[in-house]
Amino acid sequence: MTNLVYRHNPITRTTHWLNALALVILVMSGFQIFNAHPHLYWGSTSEPDQAFLSIAAANDDGEVRGFFRIYGWQFDTTGVLGVQNTELGPAPRAFPSWLTIPGYFWLAGGRRWHFFFAWIFALNGLLYVIYNIANGHMRKFLFTAKDAARMPAMALYYFRIRKASPQEGEYNPLQKMAYTSVFFALTPLIILSGMAMSPQLNTAFHWLPAMFGGRQSARSIHFILTFLFVGFTFGHVFMVLMTGVLNNMRSIVTGWYKEKGSDFPEPVWLQGFKEEMIQKPARVSVSHQLPAPEPEEIGPAQKTHQGRADARQQDSGIPKSATNDAQISPENSQQTLPIHKNEAKKDIVE
Amino acid sequence: MNLSRRSLLLGAVQGAGLLLLSGCEKAFNSLQQNRKFLSLLESAEGANQHLQRLLTGKNKLAQEFTEQDISRYFKPNGNPPPITMDYTADAAKQWPAWRLEISGSVKQPARFSLPELRSMPSRTQITRHDCVEGWSAIAKWKGVPLTEIMQRVQPTPEAKYVVFHCMDTDDSGAHYYESIDFLDAHHPQTILAYEMNDRALPIEHGAPLRLRIETQLGYKHAKYIRKIDFVASYENIAAGKGGYWEDQGYEWYAGI
Repeated sequence: MTNLVYRHNPITRTTHWLNALALVILVMSGFQIFNAHPHLYWGSTSEPDQAFLSIAAANDDGEVRGFFRIYGWQFDTTGVLGVQNTELGPAPRAFPSWLTIPGYFWLAGGRRWHFFFAWIFALNGLLYVIYNIANGHMRKFLFTAKDAARMPAMALYYFRIRKASPQEGEYNPLQKMAYTSVFFALTPLIILSGMAMSPQLNTAFHWLPAMFGGRQSARSIHFILTFLFVGFTFGHVFMVLMTGVLNNMRSIVTGWYKEKGSDFPEPVWLQGFKEEMIQKPARVSVSHQLPAPEPEEIGPAQKTHQGRADARQQDSGIPKSATNDAQISPENSQQTLPIHKNEAKKDIVE
Repeated sequence: MNLSRRSLLLGAVQGAGLLLLSGCEKAFNSLQQNRKFLSLLESAEGANQHLQRLLTGKNKLAQEFTEQDISRYFKPNGNPPPITMDYTADAAKQWPAWRLEISGSVKQPARFSLPELRSMPSRTQITRHDCVEGWSAIAKWKGVPLTEIMQRVQPTPEAKYVVFHCMDTDDSGAHYYESIDFLDAHHPQTILAYEMNDRALPIEHGAPLRLRIETQLGYKHAKYIRKIDFVASYENIAAGKGGYWEDQGYEWYAGI
């Protein structure tokens, strides 16, 4: 059984991709800025011998070696961190040129990119949050005490030790934890720690650097939070790949997500939330995830599908009947005549 | 899959990845050279300036620290000290010849000697210096508030910026200079410092006189000052961006 449901509104889709672009540029231009002084400290100031983290170059008997050092633990990272091998020979630079914007050493350029996309990141995030709080969507992934209790069960399910998912609603407990912490902890903290480095803001808000333990602490935390963002993004992309990449991509590009019916019958009260069940981590290859139109689509089951979609439609207040698809989904624009609803849906599946 | 096929495939993926990365690098670099795109990026500077000044309001004081917080090491950044005979000879004799020249759109142009500046009301502050590179250092500064100078020379209404001309030069001989607007010029912590950590300002930190402007990053804190010019616009000075580093692409508004 398959069913197409409308999952992501246009604001969510647009802000998602703009956010993805902004994050990549912020991280890469941030590395450019870091390269200007590739050491991190705790406290207000930066005594050179007090750095707890350094990515730098050292002269090792006439050979330039790059190293990564954290709390006295030093690793030779020549070629990637500290020293990059270029056509002109080894060049000292903390992050290599292919990880920075611009790709050559230019702090002023990095700052220009960073501040412009910091505005994009903040305003774009604000638009997403306001819109999706107003329409009630964000409540669906708000992490609660109940979710905390279910996290171990969900982890066991992910590792296939447990058969049944403890998920209720559109997001599972681990997703809720990840999304809630990104929206309500990580994002505000990375913006605040960035602002804490501003001498102008420091005139009126002494608490701003102080809440992080001083300006250099704020700088270090800004850097560390970056890697939490990077880690979240890799985890996010990994899950997208593992749970049906084409279907997931369609849903974040067009808004439409195809669900697979579960193997066991569900209680009636869950049917309205049918779309909110995640797919099991796919063992099959990607090509198997988009089957040819299934014969089950035609027949008595059709009524229940439509019934579910309609129930969902009342929930969110967004019209989702196939006749309205023509307005919502550009792929479907050729469907101007009122046709059999099921056929319209199948077209989207293709 | 046999080993050679796998390594071939891995190599292909690696190659494609590298190609993509170097493509991105080239794309970013060429965007960086694009005038229109650059001015789009630069629009963030005005937004930062307006938002930050709106949030802080006027004349709020930067955090001041205690003697215990003073940094053991304070990096002397920027150009090396001037090496002209005039400068070194005068420095050796504690600045008998040096004068601070005040000119431009002022009612009373003036020249002040170091003892004259020292006899004016002074302000002492232990503040944190934040370099654009990312490091911070705390020091104690003593100097004459810029407002004291302004009271004496009386800028005329057309003056919008205060330009600091310096004695230090870069490799190509270009003189350092900086400019600030009247909002920052009137800030109580904006001082012309002649002492650092209870001693005469060291050569490497800008002797005999440097600017402390605690609302801004380090490169605004002009060292080795010889002349202060009150101007309506800084467009006709050097490359016209309002400062030595600004001419090379850094923001004129250095509040972040």
